[in-house]
Amino acid sequence: MVECGRHLNIELLTLSEIDTISGQPGNFLVTLRQHPRYVDMDKCIACGLCSQKCPRKVPDEYQMGVGTRKAIYISYNQTVPLKYVIDKDHCIYFQKGKCKACEKFCPTGAINFDEPEEVRTVNVGSVILAPGYKPFDPTGFDIYNYEQLPDVVTGLEYERLLSASGPFQGHLVQPSTGREPKKIAWIQCVGSRNKACGNGYCSTVCCMYAVKQSLVTAEHLHGDDIQQTIFYMDLRAHNKEFERYYNDAMAKGVRFIRSRPHSVDPGEKNIGARIYYVTEDGQQVREDFDLVVLSVGLEAPADALELAAKFGLKLDQYRFADTSSFAPVLTQREGVYVCGAFSGPKSIPRSVTDASAAATAAAKNLVTARGTLTKEKTYPPERDVSGEEPRVGVFVCSCGINIANTVNVPEVVDYAKTLPYVQYVENNLFSCSTDTQVLMAEKIKEHNLNRIVVAACTPRTHEALFADTLREAGLNGYLLEMANIRNQNSWVHQQSPEAATAKAKDQVRMAVAKALRDFPLQRLSVAVSQRALVIGGGLAGMTAALDLADRNYETVLVEKSDKLGGNAWFLNKTWKGEDIRTNLQVLIAKVENHPKIKVLKQAEVKSVSGSVGNFQSDIIVAGRTETVSYGIAVLAIGAEEYKPNEYLYGQDARIKTHLEFDAELRERSAQVAKAGSAVFIQCVGSREPERMYCSRVCCTHSVHSAIKLKELNPDMQVFILYRDIRTYGKREDLYTKARELGVLFIRYDLENKPKVRKEGDNLLVEVVDPIVQMPVTIPADYLVLASAIVPRQHEQLMELYKYNVNTDGFINEAHPKLRPVDSLVDGLFLAGLCHHPKPINESVSQAMAAVSRAGVILAKERMSLDAIKSYPTEKCDGCALCVDVCPYMAIKVEEYRDNGQVHRRIVTDKALCKGCGLCAATCPKDGVEVHGFTMEQLQAQVDAVVAGFAQAGA
Amino acid sequence: MILIQVITLAERLGVHRNTIRNWVKTGKIPARPAPGRGLLLSREDFQRLCQEFALDPGSLNPRELALAETREVVTVPVALALHASEQPERSRLPITFQEAVMSDKVVGSVLVVGGGIAGIQAALDLADSGYYVYLVEKGPGIGGKMAQLDKTYPTNDCAM
Repeated sequence: MVECGRHLNIELLTLSEIDTISGQPGNFLVTLRQHPRYVDMDKCIACGLCSQKCPRKVPDEYQMGVGTRKAIYISYNQTVPLKYVIDKDHCIYFQKGKCKACEKFCPTGAINFDEPEEVRTVNVGSVILAPGYKPFDPTGFDIYNYEQLPDVVTGLEYERLLSASGPFQGHLVQPSTGREPKKIAWIQCVGSRNKACGNGYCSTVCCMYAVKQSLVTAEHLHGDDIQQTIFYMDLRAHNKEFERYYNDAMAKGVRFIRSRPHSVDPGEKNIGARIYYVTEDGQQVREDFDLVVLSVGLEAPADALELAAKFGLKLDQYRFADTSSFAPVLTQREGVYVCGAFSGPKSIPRSVTDASAAATAAAKNLVTARGTLTKEKTYPPERDVSGEEPRVGVFVCSCGINIANTVNVPEVVDYAKTLPYVQYVENNLFSCSTDTQVLMAEKIKEHNLNRIVVAACTPRTHEALFADTLREAGLNGYLLEMANIRNQNSWVHQQSPEAATAKAKDQVRMAVAKALRDFPLQRLSVAVSQRALVIGGGLAGMTAALDLADRNYETVLVEKSDKLGGNAWFLNKTWKGEDIRTNLQVLIAKVENHPKIKVLKQAEVKSVSGSVGNFQSDIIVAGRTETVSYGIAVLAIGAEEYKPNEYLYGQDARIKTHLEFDAELRERSAQVAKAGSAVFIQCVGSREPERMYCSRVCCTHSVHSAIKLKELNPDMQVFILYRDIRTYGKREDLYTKARELGVLFIRYDLENKPKVRKEGDNLLVEVVDPIVQMPVTIPADYLVLASAIVPRQHEQLMELYKYNVNTDGFINEAHPKLRPVDSLVDGLFLAGLCHHPKPINESVSQAMAAVSRAGVILAKERMSLDAIKSYPTEKCDGCALCVDVCPYMAIKVEEYRDNGQVHRRIVTDKALCKGCGLCAATCPKDGVEVHGFTMEQLQAQVDAVVAGFAQAGA
Repeated sequence: MILIQVITLAERLGVHRNTIRNWVKTGKIPARPAPGRGLLLSREDFQRLCQEFALDPGSLNPRELALAETREVVTVPVALALHASEQPERSRLPITFQEAVMSDKVVGSVLVVGGGIAGIQAALDLADSGYYVYLVEKGPGIGGKMAQLDKTYPTNDCAM
């Protein structure tokens, strides 16, 4: 978010709405209506005085109405841009004509009540729509009594109750009494899977957010008598690692009740709530809870219709954007793309993946104009400070009131002045504000400073900003030290301001001690090979190759078999009814005829050397060896269908897996139509102790096949034996349709799996029906096993690229939410089934996203690397202790000759090294050090702390 | 610095000359009046102006001036110089958007609508790979719904 706000090539247009759009793909004209903020963005320093003085309190949308804010406000402390805004509808001046308190108190004169609305026209090549979703509003849904009962809250409101930045500072309380709740219930599917409110679809994310909230709740409450209960219909934990998370919740005592409560009434004396529900065996139950959380679903955004009309998009019946499985981010209008929850409810990683995919689609059309409008920052030449005596400048930030309310900032400033070599000390209200940056650069020049200490917040978010300021002032960016007197001090020591002030002094002293020993570091840069390698010629691999090639990068596609297409050849139709083979053939033709794609069939990667930007591989192609060099690689090696060893599989031709049954439907549909009954068994090999994950696609596939059977022969008896039906998102409509067509769904438990036996020539399936609570026996003409998706053998590839996998053998992503297609190896990206089981639209989206992420690396001819790296010193004798601890495989041992004798020492690969310092910590003889964090620098910091103790003791 | 005539700009935009002068006064056009009914503005501002109103830079008959006071070294771009020597065609007034985008030129920028996690990710990917991005958000700040969440599953990371 901060990165976005600071990016040179991203212009943030807040408070803006689209007015009109015209033009054609590659060249659109869009007019925007920018509403006034009434606060000058250049002048506002976000000191917060205006908000303090503003007399008008308004329910806070950010806190979901649980708390209040003022009429001039920022949504939350980390908001980007960090500028106040006046809410015209509530401002006393705008409503009644007088007040202007904010204007009187604003120290910079930023308030402007006369700011007009602006109309702006921008000329763009592509448009991406990501308007998000609207949480379902349960007001008016009288069975839940949401409006009347204070202790009935929505899921999003509950998030705020839990949050440390929430209205109760993360202390979970019952809204009606302010006491800690003991019994909390979650009601699932509020506003989802419910035709009564018009939302027939499943909102996909609520099951997991309820499970998460139930687990986080346990961290907030004290005592043994806490009880979390989740009322659900089907628990949908179909994403990577979710099944384990769900099992973990069960193990930790969260109570899961399969029931949809029919009413929520006030509790005793109007405190808490009383839930009425019916258990699976038909008993009526009445239970009291202290707090009830409604797991509200996701709806299309309020402006969906308006947006669709402006851009000429097609919406589905739920007002989500309608997209196809093979082009999940494309719309009916060329040049306009959609991503995120706008095209259907989805979780964060899928939104992020979609967003990257849309970026690829948008960029593909504009390849010829790449780099024409972007700017690059230039810096003045660096001043050589090597001969100079240290001249330290210290900037102490008040962070508005964040630091100044706890730490006595003037005292810290005075103290800093007494430290050796400190030439200049200043206090800023906000050290990070734009005007302070300018001032800082001026002071560096004026006082000829050559080391800078900023005592403020965390380097994680702000170091880059200050380093940039140093560079603008002609100093090396690594001559900067930060003392985190906010996150590590004022925020945690609010109760003891005196000790906090003393600690701030310690922190500043340490930072100055280290700064004195800072030396300029040069960023390294490596050339980037503008070519790509894609491993795996299935749907995901081909999509990735095609998009890379369309973005003008030479691409080599490696396929193990002699045919492109992979698993998709075995499937008939997507759940939306699109024919898979036709689409596949079109894609194969495009890939094979693309001038920038080289397809290598019957090929395998045999060796990998180098790192991001510069990989080399030997590839064996039908006996010959080809050497390829490339900057990035996309792994799309797929997965395969699990061959069951239960339910008599392999002993009778009528027992088939999904892929086998698809072939049967494709080739012998007339014979299938004659069958009198068909039984599907779900979760064969999935969601069991040895494979604790959901294979994600099988429920939809079974339901889809069942509908097909009913269409072929309406008299056929079709049964689906399931544990939870996981037809997430808009797939829920299929489930509804199947029930309407008379498909019978019978639930079974893991402890009580169905039994299959043969009596003579008859195939019989026995299962305990949970409603009648008796075993039933079903004769089956077809038995379809929804068997799991399991990873392929890829140990060799794993050894070559050093990527890692989760316990199930699926390749790990760099971050489960924010970097879902990057692998942990730089320059290596993931797509398709090798990451986790998923349907076609998600594989395609992931492949396109991988291309987008790869495009960031390939866009530059040279890639700059951070300068904090490890370097061997003269003391290294090649003992190789560090080689084993390096998590990035960046250290190798080499031999060299000196005076006729052979010596050993280590060399570090600068492209692989991340400067983590494990090697330096392991080395027993100072044989390796990390620049920017040398032993001498660290020692100086430790000495500085100890000196403080000595003083205190004396 | 770039010098253009008030009248030329007024004609191209289909407004009265005094409207242009008013716009200059209120700061809507980042220029200052120059002798001979001219307008003086920096090269960047000039390009921005052309982009905003979808004008062909050449059609405004711009003249490059190297002004001593700004110490700006200005080189006249070839394309601009060529256009300047040609007489601009008088277009129908006012120019419509359709007319402005009739060219087949591909523009290297992208508009992203929505500043939630999806919009932010799309914007960052594009900006990092060589495209200029306008990120439009209805509200006063970006971050969307995810900024309201406490923690995310299954790793219980902070949503911020």
